[in-house]
Amino acid sequence: MLTKEVIEDILAKAKALGGDFAEVFIERKTNNGIACEADRIERVVTGIEVGAGIRVLVGENTSYGYTNDLSADNLLKIAETVAKAATGDNTPAGIELIKAKVQPNSDIKIMPGEVEIDEKVSLVTRANNAARKMDDRIKQVTVVYGDVVQEVVIANSDGLWIEDQRIRTRFMVNVVAAQGDIIQTGYEAIGGHVGLELFEETEPEGVARKAVKRALLMLEAKPAPAGKMTVVMDGEAGGTMIHEACGHGLEADLVQKQLSVYAGKIGEKVASELVTVIDDATIPGKYGSFGVDDEGTQGQKTILIENGILKNYMYDYLAAKKENKISTGNGRRESYQDHPIPRMTNTFIAAGKTDPREIIKSVAKGFYVKAMGGGQVNTTNGDFVFDVKEGYLIENGKITIPVRGATLTGNGPEVLQKIDMVGNDLGFAIGTCGKDGQGVPVSDAQPTIRIPNLTVGGLL
Amino acid sequence: MTDNLSLARELVAKGLNTGAEQIEVYVTKGQELTVKVANGQVETLKNAEEQGVGIRVFVANRLGYAYSSDLSSTALETALTKAIFNAKKTAEDSFNILPRLSDVYPELDLYDPEIAKVSVEEKIKMALLMEDSARGYDPRVKIIESCTYQDVHYQIAIVNSKGIEKTNEGSYCGMYAFVVAEEGSEAQTGFDLQFELKIKDLNPVKIGKEAANKAVRSLGAKHVETQKATVVLDPYVATNFLGVLASAFSAENVQKGKSFFAGKMNTIVCSPLVEIIDDGALVGKVVSSPFDGEGVAMQRTILVKEGILTGLLHNSYTANKGGTASTGNAIRSYKGTPEVGATNLYIEAGQVSKEVLLSEVRQGFYITEVMGMHTANPISGDFSVGASGLLIENGKLTKAFRGAAIAGNLIGLLKQVDCVADDLTFFIGSGSPTIRIANMTISGS
Repeated sequence: MLTKEVIEDILAKAKALGGDFAEVFIERKTNNGIACEADRIERVVTGIEVGAGIRVLVGENTSYGYTNDLSADNLLKIAETVAKAATGDNTPAGIELIKAKVQPNSDIKIMPGEVEIDEKVSLVTRANNAARKMDDRIKQVTVVYGDVVQEVVIANSDGLWIEDQRIRTRFMVNVVAAQGDIIQTGYEAIGGHVGLELFEETEPEGVARKAVKRALLMLEAKPAPAGKMTVVMDGEAGGTMIHEACGHGLEADLVQKQLSVYAGKIGEKVASELVTVIDDATIPGKYGSFGVDDEGTQGQKTILIENGILKNYMYDYLAAKKENKISTGNGRRESYQDHPIPRMTNTFIAAGKTDPREIIKSVAKGFYVKAMGGGQVNTTNGDFVFDVKEGYLIENGKITIPVRGATLTGNGPEVLQKIDMVGNDLGFAIGTCGKDGQGVPVSDAQPTIRIPNLTVGGLL
Repeated sequence: MTDNLSLARELVAKGLNTGAEQIEVYVTKGQELTVKVANGQVETLKNAEEQGVGIRVFVANRLGYAYSSDLSSTALETALTKAIFNAKKTAEDSFNILPRLSDVYPELDLYDPEIAKVSVEEKIKMALLMEDSARGYDPRVKIIESCTYQDVHYQIAIVNSKGIEKTNEGSYCGMYAFVVAEEGSEAQTGFDLQFELKIKDLNPVKIGKEAANKAVRSLGAKHVETQKATVVLDPYVATNFLGVLASAFSAENVQKGKSFFAGKMNTIVCSPLVEIIDDGALVGKVVSSPFDGEGVAMQRTILVKEGILTGLLHNSYTANKGGTASTGNAIRSYKGTPEVGATNLYIEAGQVSKEVLLSEVRQGFYITEVMGMHTANPISGDFSVGASGLLIENGKLTKAFRGAAIAGNLIGLLKQVDCVADDLTFFIGSGSPTIRIANMTISGS
């Protein structure tokens, strides 16, 4: 890695034409991936990625450059190119970096690099075998294991100089079940800001069994109904709804550009008083957790909505500076190829007081979401959709038949106001969140909640 | 160019000497410029250079892979060692194969020297012109989410131990606009895009106006009642569905039972009006290339003809397994093995104009935007997506609607196509005309 003096020179060069702020982000990432399909280990892939991104800010404008060539000469050349597109009135000055320390919140127990590849392969094989022997109707099983060790150096013209190591491990099982002409799939994934201790909590076989059960259930399922109905989302269903219905709209860059329905509403009631929404990068081991964000700001817990009142947005350095605030530690980027933007970390609706069983009992006729898939939102008008991976009908307070192929669609601000029961449970699910073409690891969660009158996209 | 080739050659030779029985080295280098403007100013200017090497080896019919974006000799040696080591951990597969040279490669004009000659200042002006055109279209266009100009210049080299030594150089450029129209407390978005091989073909005014038009016409959108109705997909929405179909056409997915086309070869899978083609050698398209990610010639493959499934997309592995020839559909970056994927995938234009197609609809829904298409299931074909667009009343597009959902199965959808217009439009590597679906459930309030 580069010496302090070289980094100082690069930053000085980047800011030499009068920019307000210069930053360098250097990354070295090692990936290991194993994939099993068609009952055999098909791929074992190792990747080495190195690169650096240099950013200069002038006013509200960003100039960014990146490269894989980390020689001092090349980085100085990139700094010069970046500087040319970010000229300002500031007097160039020398930069004195002071090393800062990351306060880690996740204690990695089993480093991926210390585990033999054979052992990782056997985790994959175990899941594959478990899935295949569960039922004859299982026609295909895909198991993917991945670990990433990302080492970053972040330094900026304010003198910040910080080094961090992020370790993430994930494991995914997808199965295809077929019966007659019907094909259905079941998917389950686990992952975290953890090493191989990920499998201490959940065994590979457990992940496989969940995926298989879901696929078999969907073979039996009826097509989802269409139209408006009362929806209950299970505490284990994941937090896609909250991620889409309000999370993205609380990212400060979208708010500042008036691209969010939540713009200008701080202090206003934007949700039912039962709803408190939190973004928290400090929960140990979660997929969206980190010590420092990709601008070197310590990760933190931010209360976004408290008892229905909008309290705060999620900020990165640039968005915070525009409002004379400090970053909430939400400045994230996919890699050295991207400049940071405000992003979620682990986002959830806080647990309430009601017993989840009471919530189901309260519904005479409705739709029950056991597991959510992906989703999307138009932050400008608040309309969102998310996919239901496992859903059932509720009839007379009881969960009855499974249904497939449903999407729930609604309007974020309307739905948040409508939530009228919040359970005392809370379950997290992992995902990769996409924004401006950048994917970052996140997790989201919610307790069991009841929403009257949500549109279910199914069949008549 | 020559460096890439000699770097690849060297690694192939080294691999063969250190335990690889077959080896392929893929080298890419690229430069990219992105200019994003808003409110008459440059918001983000990005200069990028990327390089990477992917190494695929076979040892005793076992596959190993490693990649590196660090091109130092130590890093590349580590990657090579890792690839060979990884090959000891995968299962033996007698269908593993590296291709030989194809007989003929298409000749394509993929490099536009003008892109490099046009200054960054000129490119900024083009992006600003696009923004002005959007704002000038209607006073209600009040917010510019982003107006972006982008260009890419790339070089590729592939060398394998079966005698392939190929290089390719190309460039392309594109522009896209996301804008917001406001009226009262309501805000709606609109976007448009264009990607071209030649910079002179970009039309910033048209993109800006079209994005503005889409945003403005969505103002006042109402919710709709749940019902069964005729649905018309505009070309962009149709290409969204095509994106899900692409994975079902993959021979790999068919061979593994991961496609709803498995076991359906030479049977009716669509309405007889539908013809679907993949063509990696299509002239004038940014996705076209003389050869695919394994060095096999790109070509035109008819997948669906008069509603009948007639072809699949193959790479060398699936072709070897299926007893056929690769269709040149090995798609990759240096970060992964060449997997089966689409190139320019499109639904062939029909005979009637869009106006005639619409004129036959007494009451229906013209869908211009879908949300959550990435949640559609390419294995089962089940989809359920959010939808918005315009109502069709007595053959004319009238008021806007939003917040609806459409659901079903892709096979069902394709069989119900009862009209295909003649307005084939491409969005980068995916194209479709306007298509009409006879009868679909649309969920609303």
